[in-house]
Amino acid sequence: MFVINCPYCGEREQSEFKAGGEAHIIRPKQPTELSDDEWAEYLFMRKNIKGVQFERWNHAHGCRKWFNVVRDTSNDAIKAVYKMGEKPPTY
Amino acid sequence: MLNYSNVITEEKSYTGLQMKEIKPIMKLIIRGKKREFLSAIGKSLNLLLPTEANTSSRSDKLTALWLSPDEWMIYCNKISSFDNNEYEIENLLNKNISKMNLGAVTNVTDQFVLINIKGDKIFDLFATGSPFNFNDFRKKEGSVTQTILAKIDVIIHNQNKNEVNLFVRRSFSQHLFSWMNDSASRL
Repeated sequence: MFVINCPYCGEREQSEFKAGGEAHIIRPKQPTELSDDEWAEYLFMRKNIKGVQFERWNHAHGCRKWFNVVRDTSNDAIKAVYKMGEKPPTY
Repeated sequence: MLNYSNVITEEKSYTGLQMKEIKPIMKLIIRGKKREFLSAIGKSLNLLLPTEANTSSRSDKLTALWLSPDEWMIYCNKISSFDNNEYEIENLLNKNISKMNLGAVTNVTDQFVLINIKGDKIFDLFATGSPFNFNDFRKKEGSVTQTILAKIDVIIHNQNKNEVNLFVRRSFSQHLFSWMNDSASRL
């Protein structure tokens, strides 16, 4: 359990949010030209690292907005929160 | 207001806590992002929409609650008549907002149930079932939050000291009301 600082509503408890997986995955420009392996790579393969990870979160029981969170998966420490479309901080 | 069979039939009171449904209350959800949208709402209703998070604004007739950066709920301060299913304000906003392509207006009068809670133990009751920190919320008159109460999505509006309005979806209202009564009886 941890507290997330929603960029729109302020600090809220984790149970108000839904996790949306890894952030900044770019959809291939020409999906029809990809092989099945490349397409599967885009659809299913995630880094799942131990350490600092960039994630998408949705404030499902509050403002219902999507935003990005930088979270350390080993201890759930949240390093940064930024809105969709903003430049990600470096870690 | 359509005359649904009502699930919350009585007013309940406990030491330091009274709760009842207030009906029928006109409620609208409005959505829009443009600057013209905000000014068109202001002109049509004579009410400035709150742009600061978790706040509300109020005129003689209406209250506007901030729900998200581009979403607000507007509700009437007074009850409307039972046999009337026409809403002047909705028609006005449809004309000035929807038809001008500035934003969206949705009538949620029958979707949300308004439960009015009074007393000095309101926040003790909420603390038993909500992850939200009400410390700052209770001090500030007019503050608004969308959060979870007993795992149910609710909108809570701090009216003034010891009085809040709580909005809950109709299908959840009976369960929430009975949960609140159960919880209040043990405070």
